[in-house]
Amino acid sequence: MGQVLERLPAGLVWQGARLADARGAALHTGFAELDAELPGGGWPAGALIELLAEHPGVGEISLLLPLMQRTPPERWIAWIAPPLLPYAPALAAAGVPLERLLLIQPATADEVLWATRQAAAGGSCALVLAWPERLDTAALRRLQLAAEESATPLFLFRAPSAARHASPAALRLQLSPTANGLRIDILKRRGPPAAHPVHLALHNGSLQESPQERPAAPVPAPPPRLTLVG
Amino acid sequence: MLWLAILVPDLPLQVFTRGLTHTNTPFAVVDRMGAARILCANAAALALGVQTGQPLSTAQAVALALQLQPRQPEREAALLAEIACWAGRFTPRISLAPPDTVLLEIHSSLRLFGGQSHIENQLKEGLAQLGLRARLACAPTPLAARWFAACGQGLPARGDWRCGLDALPLAVLGSEGDCSAATLELLRGLGAQRLGDVRALPAAGLARRQAQSVSLLLARARGEQPDPRLWFAPPERFHHELALPAPTDSSEALLFAARRLFASLASWLQARHAAIDHCRLRLLHERQPATVLEIVLGQAANDEAHLALIARERLDSLALPTEVCALGVDADHLLAHVPRADDLFGAPGQARDQAMRLVDRLRARLGENAIRHLAPVADHRPEAAWQTQGRTQHGRQRPATSKAASNPEAVLPDRRRPFWLLPHATVISPQHYTLLGDAERIESGWWDDGDMRRDYFLAQRSDNTLCWIYHELSPPGGWYLQGYFG
Repeated sequence: MGQVLERLPAGLVWQGARLADARGAALHTGFAELDAELPGGGWPAGALIELLAEHPGVGEISLLLPLMQRTPPERWIAWIAPPLLPYAPALAAAGVPLERLLLIQPATADEVLWATRQAAAGGSCALVLAWPERLDTAALRRLQLAAEESATPLFLFRAPSAARHASPAALRLQLSPTANGLRIDILKRRGPPAAHPVHLALHNGSLQESPQERPAAPVPAPPPRLTLVG
Repeated sequence: MLWLAILVPDLPLQVFTRGLTHTNTPFAVVDRMGAARILCANAAALALGVQTGQPLSTAQAVALALQLQPRQPEREAALLAEIACWAGRFTPRISLAPPDTVLLEIHSSLRLFGGQSHIENQLKEGLAQLGLRARLACAPTPLAARWFAACGQGLPARGDWRCGLDALPLAVLGSEGDCSAATLELLRGLGAQRLGDVRALPAAGLARRQAQSVSLLLARARGEQPDPRLWFAPPERFHHELALPAPTDSSEALLFAARRLFASLASWLQARHAAIDHCRLRLLHERQPATVLEIVLGQAANDEAHLALIARERLDSLALPTEVCALGVDADHLLAHVPRADDLFGAPGQARDQAMRLVDRLRARLGENAIRHLAPVADHRPEAAWQTQGRTQHGRQRPATSKAASNPEAVLPDRRRPFWLLPHATVISPQHYTLLGDAERIESGWWDDGDMRRDYFLAQRSDNTLCWIYHELSPPGGWYLQGYFG
């Protein structure tokens, strides 16, 4: 049976064990390990993507960095209601085009949703990152439709407790930091459930020593080398 | 010469009904002079039994929900001028023919617009956007065009147009105002029914009976006598008002009426090859000073849809002191507008326009300060090494194409910096953190009271989050968390 199926032309029969084809174009994440686990081989271009993390700073910006670096000209990267300050020198040094980055800080939760929908629907943003405080299914559905309509990837950052509730998001990833990078649990994707989490090494090369070799507590003694600035 | 007449029937009524959202609202205009009588009424009112010339009390008894406004001749003249401004995109040669007609000389525009029927169709569509009903007719002389429009018919398809003119009823002579009612009565008494009958009468006899003006009119209409017209000079500033049929505070109704004015503004801009980057929407109240909304665009535009979109956001978030009885749109400062050439492979400028519109729309709803751009600043102190910029000079209003556009003099630090900065550094207990790598000492800011002496470290917290922490060297010391690498 397996042989018969394999002889068939590609795309004629979809097997349950395979990942679904992305409905629209997929955008490479920049991480081959992650691309292999995502339908279409990357972030879905016009879909709602939920990234669940305990708090900001787990590695979510590094995860999206390749996408932000590739922003096409004349389009925005919208950051809507980020919980902390995006630090301009670091983003500029990482190659994010700051002049295309829009920092949107609405006053109320309703306006956060409105702004997210506007940014996702217009087609003038290359990607939209939003940190909404509260979301119901109707709001999620509207955001999903807006993203689909304009083929804009919309990343929603939510607390891990949101995983208990159903969501129309095409992709739900749970992010947690590891010793040298990021662990990604794929909670939902178009295709079979993911068997094992994806580990990305985000800090290789930038951390000179692995943390295991260091003492467990900070040493108040003068560090071996000081860089004097200013 | 080919003249096209735009005749607005029931002009006193249409001044108000163009702002009327629901056409099934009965509405009428009363004559201000003498005893109040119905001057004209819309279809919904006529269907209820209101008639022109009816006393006001009778009309109100017949139709209880009838909305009334007194006639405003100055608004009628202003509307005629607005139509003339609007029509400037079809031809520069425009002449006003009060009380209710605008004449366009379209002979030289025929080729550009692809023929007479195309111009007429575009005019009809445009007038519908302005909220107006009008009758159009073309003829080689201005008077003939106007008379044909008044009778609601075009040129006869076959034969000489002068034969068509002869067949027009006698009543058209009265519309110009040159021919008195007494003269018309005289001609009717002589048995004339149509213009052809008048022409057949002996000219000497007419002159003897003080009716020679009729002969002159007919000769002008037939092109036998010159009929010079004054050209309309469009004003340098756009300043038009629209009276609402009834005072309202509903933002939908206001937006509906504002769209009419924006359509007019857009066409006036197109005729002048200009664009605006801001205009003013005035909401006039009956007894209070007007509420003024500044509509600011990020980029010069001449597109009514965009203006309406920004106006919608502003109107939605506006608290009106009282009901609005009229709207006005003013645009003073015109900017040169270079129309973009169409491109076979998608329009590259379209993406930029869309991007600008998104920012305009967000600003209109969320406020000026909610939308910012980030930029690095050349300062060694982490708290001072960034800034946000709001609306600044023009070049920064759109997503730039070049990477080096933002603050090229800002020197980026050569050490790794965190993506997230805490608004205020928080005190931490160092037991939960593992230091990674060397310290980076930042000692700076003695000149502006922001003096600091700190050793910065990359550190891994016990939950594996990569943090940016520092050890305060000046008393009282201690360890602080300042950012996440994210």
